[in-house]
Amino acid sequence: MNPFALRQRALAWFHRHKETQAWALLAPGFGWLVLFFLVPIVIMFAYSVMPRGEYGGVERGFTLEHYARFMDPLYIKILWRTLEDSTICTVACLLTGYPVAYVIARATKWRNFLMFLVILPFWTSFLVRTFAMIFLLRDTGLINTMLLKLGVITEPILMLYTPFAVMLGLVYGFLPFMILPIYASLEKLDLSLLEAAEVLGAKPMARFFRVTLPLSMPGVVAGSLLVFIPALGSFLTSDLLGGAKEIMIGNLVQNQFTTARNWPFGSAASFIVMALVLVAVMIYLRVRDRDTELGAH
Amino acid sequence: MPTKKETDDLFKNFVEGRMPRRDFIRTALAMGASISALGVVLEACGGAPEEAAKPAPTPAPGPAPGPAPEPDLGPMETELNIYNWSDYIAEDTVANFTKETGIKVKYDTYESNEELLAKLQVGASGYDIVVPTGYIVSVLMAQNLLEPLVKKYLTNWKNVAPLFINPEFDPGNTFGVPWQWGTTGFAYRSDKIVPAPDGWGVFLDAKYKHKMTMLNDERDVIGAWLKYRGKSLSSGDAADLAQAKIDAIAAKANLKAFISAEVKGQLVSGDVWAAQLWNGDTAQATKEEAKIAYCLPKEGAAFWTDSLVIPKGAPHKRAAHAFMDYILRPDVATTISDFTGYGTPNAEAVSKLAVPVPYPTEEELKRLEIQKDLGKAAQAWDQLWTEIGAA
Amino acid sequence: MHSLKLPRWLVAFVALVYAFLHIPLLVLVVFSFNASKYGVEWTGFTTHWYARLWERQDIIDGLKASVVVGVSSTLISTLLGTLMALAIARHEFRGRRLMEAFLYIPIVTPEIVVGISLLILFVLLNFPLGLVSIVIAHVAFNISFVVVVVLARLQGMDRNLEEAAMILGADEFTTFRRITVPLLWPGILSGAMLAFTMSFDDYVITSFVTGTGSSTLPIVVYTMVRKNIEPSINAISTIILIITTILIFAADRLGRDKPLVHSAD
Repeated sequence: MNPFALRQRALAWFHRHKETQAWALLAPGFGWLVLFFLVPIVIMFAYSVMPRGEYGGVERGFTLEHYARFMDPLYIKILWRTLEDSTICTVACLLTGYPVAYVIARATKWRNFLMFLVILPFWTSFLVRTFAMIFLLRDTGLINTMLLKLGVITEPILMLYTPFAVMLGLVYGFLPFMILPIYASLEKLDLSLLEAAEVLGAKPMARFFRVTLPLSMPGVVAGSLLVFIPALGSFLTSDLLGGAKEIMIGNLVQNQFTTARNWPFGSAASFIVMALVLVAVMIYLRVRDRDTELGAH
Repeated sequence: MPTKKETDDLFKNFVEGRMPRRDFIRTALAMGASISALGVVLEACGGAPEEAAKPAPTPAPGPAPGPAPEPDLGPMETELNIYNWSDYIAEDTVANFTKETGIKVKYDTYESNEELLAKLQVGASGYDIVVPTGYIVSVLMAQNLLEPLVKKYLTNWKNVAPLFINPEFDPGNTFGVPWQWGTTGFAYRSDKIVPAPDGWGVFLDAKYKHKMTMLNDERDVIGAWLKYRGKSLSSGDAADLAQAKIDAIAAKANLKAFISAEVKGQLVSGDVWAAQLWNGDTAQATKEEAKIAYCLPKEGAAFWTDSLVIPKGAPHKRAAHAFMDYILRPDVATTISDFTGYGTPNAEAVSKLAVPVPYPTEEELKRLEIQKDLGKAAQAWDQLWTEIGAA
Repeated sequence: MHSLKLPRWLVAFVALVYAFLHIPLLVLVVFSFNASKYGVEWTGFTTHWYARLWERQDIIDGLKASVVVGVSSTLISTLLGTLMALAIARHEFRGRRLMEAFLYIPIVTPEIVVGISLLILFVLLNFPLGLVSIVIAHVAFNISFVVVVVLARLQGMDRNLEEAAMILGADEFTTFRRITVPLLWPGILSGAMLAFTMSFDDYVITSFVTGTGSSTLPIVVYTMVRKNIEPSINAISTIILIITTILIFAADRLGRDKPLVHSAD
């Protein structure tokens, strides 16, 4: 059989089996995730309903105590504060990242290079980058020294080990997660649409809110999720830039698997956060699918 | 809690045959030694197995009937996998060892005791030597995750100073070769904090608000505040912990941060005036800035020893012993401690150190306490730490 | 295009954001030439930390391991992730929404949970720990990020071009290769960049699934944190920055003649 005929037959077969075609595309990635992600996570879930082992790990038995323990106001308060911080971080990333993505997408000559510059800082070590930030923010750091010399301030401003420093670090670290998806969706934006809008007399602001923003919404949503969700689990930034003065959910989980040696409680806390996020994502997907169906008619 | 003297006497009595085996076991258990640890001690002492040791729930190494000869580990392997803290060995130690023995060494580093413990507990290793702190050695021991040392391969064992013989966490030195020791007190800037501080109380002094840090580690922070009130570093007592929480939260209001990283740099630059820190790291910072001094608080502090141990199922046990014997040599031990800034457990090396780190005096030993594993109290401690973090 | 110039304030704002991203890099580079071991104050110019890289075999080995892991996990996760995104955006199948929600699980799972649970799996399977286990782990957490980014590109992407190609007689394979992939390219590239970045700087997960002699660069760096991060790390970071900048700059120059990377604009 010649290759062409083989190809034709394969195509014909796929046409008859639309769903099989979808699964053929999904299978490799899905299989990988099931084996190397879902299976381990199921093991961890089993851990979360077992009694704590004194030296780490778990003991035989079944218990819901770890989930019940999380309902303590102490942990709810930590969860709430983490949600707040992640929200602020996401909004800040959106407000700074969108303009960047927009400019990159509109740049003609330097587009790839500009995008590369966004990602470049992240090819250095997180710790060295963070220590560079510490150097900038310290009482005797570069910013304070310069402001003192210029006479703008007489006392160093307390910046390092404050919530402000944590937010700065988080925004810095997650900015590319916002910029890249927005760029990916803006890049396909048909400029003729904008020109049409301009010809029709739309003001720049109106052009942006009526044309550009709606078209880039998939990128905005994807970026927001890619910032918000991992920000929930971050722990090193609050340790290093916040001086571990405000414990986050990420720190709590980290501690359970290390010093506290309470693996089941750490798992339970993770699953509670995961469940919350998944419910939110499911609701979003439902709304989105309904909107696109409505839009199609 | 048993004192070192008590345990020493206990073991001496037993080994010298002045104490019946059964009594030894009962007393040692009452002192808090773990059952599997005892099994190992009994075996190492060459006694015949007795009913009393039988019902041990944790699998103790198979008791050999009669005076068991030390096992033979076979021919020397050509490879060795070491897993150690970063910056915790002289730069040429491994290279010189390879040059001398021809054993190729793969050297990896880890960040914390707990990370190491989690890995070993899940069962992943492949490492022949790891370097946990004392209380982690006892946890690994209790879970039967270590290979006993075969002392006949450790020809230089005689160099180990008496202070490190028969520690509480490793009775009979069955599993660990002491590596480095140190204390957890605090470093301060002698030009900024006048008069010189003498105890943990400095962290409650609002005069130095936002100029002080403590380590980002619940064992160190809560431990310090327990000591402040004259309690044990490893207390599980609810009242002790409640008071420690009050003190820790009061101190938190003054603290700039809880940090373990970058402390030295900020002491040198003058951003931080007092920082809970280990003695060796303080010594390194003093090299950069002479005004940095170390305080061993009058109320007491932690005294710790990190030991070389062999994880269960290590592929190159013979080579591991060869390395241990190598670092027990006075010249090698000296170069290591000169690099790390920490004390050496090697009695022959201690006088040769470039910057002397003498053993604690009798008076200092009274103030020092070895951290013990928290066991069941770990959960209460963690809750406390979370509360401090959320306060 | 020219009728729609970017407002000046916008360009200024974006320049500020770039400054925010790059000032710490500047500090990092400057301190790679600082004589002080602790990198807190400028104590004099030195190239000692670069020379020292010759002695720090662990840093060089770590960099090699990181590049191998980063490149292979990026290639695999980008391929698998793009295929999944195509299936989700272009095909109706039962459980599609559930599949999409499932893909968010790896993003939300705390790293330490991923690390320990994968280690448990590897030990259960008696799978040797080393570079391969690290790549497997990195692909597992990267796929989702790739899917989400590529989906953002695919959703609402104009299908007219593809349909036109088919009407003109191109079969699906040809259409896919000549039309779909070039249109998708910015999404694929963004996803791949994100994947590589996360792989290249991952510590927590890697620390659990690494074996003897397979320490990546982040492991070498993170384990230094308690003691002191030697300025040699700044030096190696600076070298990475310079090499990648030159490579990308060159690739961008060469690629400009064939604007494959851009969609039709």
